[in-house]
Amino acid sequence: MSELTVVGKPVTRVDVDAKVTGEAIYGYDLVLPNMLYGKAVFSTRPHAKIKRINTEKARSYPGIVAVITGEDAPWTHGESIKDKPFLARGKVRYIGEPVAAVAAVDEDTAQAAAALIEVEYADLPSYFSPVEACAPGAIPIHEDFASYRKAEFIVGGSMPNVCEHFKLRTGDVERGFKDADLILEERYTVPTIQHAAMEPHSAHAQVDPVTGRLTLWVANDAPFRALHEIAEALGLPNEKIRLINPLQGGGFGSKGGLKVETVAMALAYHTQGRPVRVKFNRQETFISTLVRHECTVYIKSGVKKDGTLVAREMVLYWGGGAYAEKSPTVCIRGSLPAPGPYRIPHVKVDGYAVYTNKPVSGAFRGYGIPQGAWACEQHMDELALRLGMDPRDLRLKNIFVDGDLSYWGEQLHSVGLKETLVKATEAIDWDKPRPEGIGRGFACISKPTRTPTTSSAAVYVDAKGEVTVLAGTVEIGQGCSTILSQVAAEELKVPIQQVRMHPLDTDVIPFDASTTSSRSTYHMGNAVRLSAIQAREQLAEIASPMLEARKEDLDFKNGRVFLKDHPQMALSLGEVIKRKFGPEGVVRADASYCYEIGKDLDLETGHSDHASAFYMYATQAAEVKVDTETGKIKLLRMSAAHDVGKAINPLNCAAQIEGGLAMGIGSALHEELVVDDQGKVRNPSFLDYHLVTSLDLPQMIPIIVECSEPEGPYGAKGLGEPGLAPTPAAIGNAVANAIGFRIYDLPLTPERVYWAIKKKGKEAA
Amino acid sequence: MKKQINITLNGRRMRLEVPAHRLLLDLLRDEIALTGTKEGCGTGDCGACTVLLNGKPVNSCLILSGELHGADIVTIEGLKIGPEFHPVQKAFIQDGGAQCGYCTPGMLMMSKALLDENLNPTEEDIRFALSGNLCRCTGYAKIIQAVQDAAAELRARNV
Repeated sequence: MSELTVVGKPVTRVDVDAKVTGEAIYGYDLVLPNMLYGKAVFSTRPHAKIKRINTEKARSYPGIVAVITGEDAPWTHGESIKDKPFLARGKVRYIGEPVAAVAAVDEDTAQAAAALIEVEYADLPSYFSPVEACAPGAIPIHEDFASYRKAEFIVGGSMPNVCEHFKLRTGDVERGFKDADLILEERYTVPTIQHAAMEPHSAHAQVDPVTGRLTLWVANDAPFRALHEIAEALGLPNEKIRLINPLQGGGFGSKGGLKVETVAMALAYHTQGRPVRVKFNRQETFISTLVRHECTVYIKSGVKKDGTLVAREMVLYWGGGAYAEKSPTVCIRGSLPAPGPYRIPHVKVDGYAVYTNKPVSGAFRGYGIPQGAWACEQHMDELALRLGMDPRDLRLKNIFVDGDLSYWGEQLHSVGLKETLVKATEAIDWDKPRPEGIGRGFACISKPTRTPTTSSAAVYVDAKGEVTVLAGTVEIGQGCSTILSQVAAEELKVPIQQVRMHPLDTDVIPFDASTTSSRSTYHMGNAVRLSAIQAREQLAEIASPMLEARKEDLDFKNGRVFLKDHPQMALSLGEVIKRKFGPEGVVRADASYCYEIGKDLDLETGHSDHASAFYMYATQAAEVKVDTETGKIKLLRMSAAHDVGKAINPLNCAAQIEGGLAMGIGSALHEELVVDDQGKVRNPSFLDYHLVTSLDLPQMIPIIVECSEPEGPYGAKGLGEPGLAPTPAAIGNAVANAIGFRIYDLPLTPERVYWAIKKKGKEAA
Repeated sequence: MKKQINITLNGRRMRLEVPAHRLLLDLLRDEIALTGTKEGCGTGDCGACTVLLNGKPVNSCLILSGELHGADIVTIEGLKIGPEFHPVQKAFIQDGGAQCGYCTPGMLMMSKALLDENLNPTEEDIRFALSGNLCRCTGYAKIIQAVQDAAAELRARNV
């Protein structure tokens, strides 16, 4: 390959100018002509039958155009289990579930009328913990679960309220435990947290009164998946639906699936063709969109005296909330690698995704990896302690290396884990003596990506020499528009300023599976790269007679095609197109990319020879000081070493690592969406839900490791999600190192640490 | 109840008739169609809606329009100096200070307010000044770097 000109360089973001001037239009900013204003009414009961909804007063309120309840929107949707009504019908399953909605001429009117809707409930028993919800005798939150339409991989219903049961079976754990010199059994918990993207959620919807076509303007992170889910729910062909994606003010997984979207769509069918906007305010965003799965993890390991792992058994209870959303796949992809990136001959994992009467759990950056890592990586340190080994030596003895057969049956390659481990720990002076009162710890992870999935792209070059990229990857802030522009610029050898990303509209843009799972650089990067290469081939073909040279003798650079041996014999790309097709001409090429499809996941063993197109590896290390008087943890510094395959943009990689780390620190130290024993979220505001501020962060040391992935564009893997995955465990290990004992539950608030220290003191006395 | 107010917005004088209870944030976004000022919480907790009111940074979601008679307001749309980016905008571009960009207008206005008062801020000064502006994407490191770089640029211009 010729030398890279723009890939691998710290190019500034292509989308940033509009963001620093306020010109960028986000979903929350969008105003449509003749638009109505929608407002939802939310359930105030965690689990109840709806006896009656009185909408009379709202209907007669001046300025009201539509008042609807679940009966007016008789549709049900869900990604892998069709269990969620557009608006509650018959019963409610959590506080915050939309039960009715209004559309009005302005926001104030909508709000006033919505407040006049009265709902009468008859309460049912509710469950706020996944472990309780699946205990024998628990009453079902979804009575009709058996009759719901489901994806073929769904294995639910084995226990009450279980919507997915994932099983991994490798070797024979009982035999493994017999062979072990040391057995350790522990329990860890991770609470509910929220994405808290800075832009709250909103959706605009319109039904064309003539064609019946539905258009949604929504900052959804997977427009094509959403379109498909809507089409299935409404019984419409895909072409009757269009999604237009305005810019998205952060997502982290929360902007996938259908939440505010269903309210807007339900209203749009009752506004005689007028578009309707539904904005969730911050409080509504907290209670009625998505949260991250709370998780209770049981882990048991058997290990030899020399540190060789022999057996590991885990049971994970994933709190799914009131509807399945992505719980089944979080359960599968979070439980599968939960035993950690280690060679273990005997492994048994059971993951249960469980319905509860809490806000709906969905995708969250990391997709189940942080929960498993919180347990597994601290458990590894506890094993090391009992074996009298340095925790790093224990990891080095067992971690995945190239060529290993993983416990889920896949031969691994391009494993940069060891390098991340060495570099992250060196960065916090692991080998140097530890000053009094200072604790150090680290944690390792591997993360799969959603597989198999497809990305398609198109690239066209116009007679001005400008390149337009059509890609369905959503700019959530992660920087995909810059990365994909770099890829197109690299292959067409044009300055990046000549590349433009086409706005995202499902009527125009080719299919993409989703902007999730850290899959875009790899999948869409490949699709854009292949498209650009084809466009370049066409340009060479066209330019060849113009330059009186064979195609093979041509080369491209700086927006020009020229003779390799006579660089002065050159034409700009625009000139080539203009001469051939006129000033309005274009050259266009399309390509799809899908990773080779292997054997399906075996539902009995959890095995797959191609569980993931690639794996992301990371190690993060923390140095902390704990104030034993107040319980406050002071983070002194944190390193984060991530194997990205190839850093297409090192500046953007560092930005992703720092951002992930900050989010991980929040989840480690103070974030928890508190749901009380009545099912009510107690802290649905930024005053009470503590996000990290500029004052809360230590020195952060991002480290990029490049262990090339042969199938990835230029060797790239992915990066977005792992940034927060090992963070809580790394901090937990450092805290245990500092105070001499372990805390098993997140977050590590001063209060929790204080009481743990007190309790330990009493036990010692 | 409607109220007549005269304000200066981004250097332009305007006479407006507004409901007195209308929040400055909504006045800017819904009535004047300047959507650069962002709504993140509506309760004064996130700083996304920061604007300069008589030179001081405020959460525009906490200001009633009825109080604004005679006020001088600068929003993100007024930050550019003619066709030129303000040094703080330039630094955010160069250093990767924006990701999703939703907190960026508020961050920039708060940074400008800091630099208007202090051209030699320490890292601590910057962290403190921006502590009411939440960002969920960046981890703040590149934002703080950008404010430091902007301060250096402004100092260089002043000499």
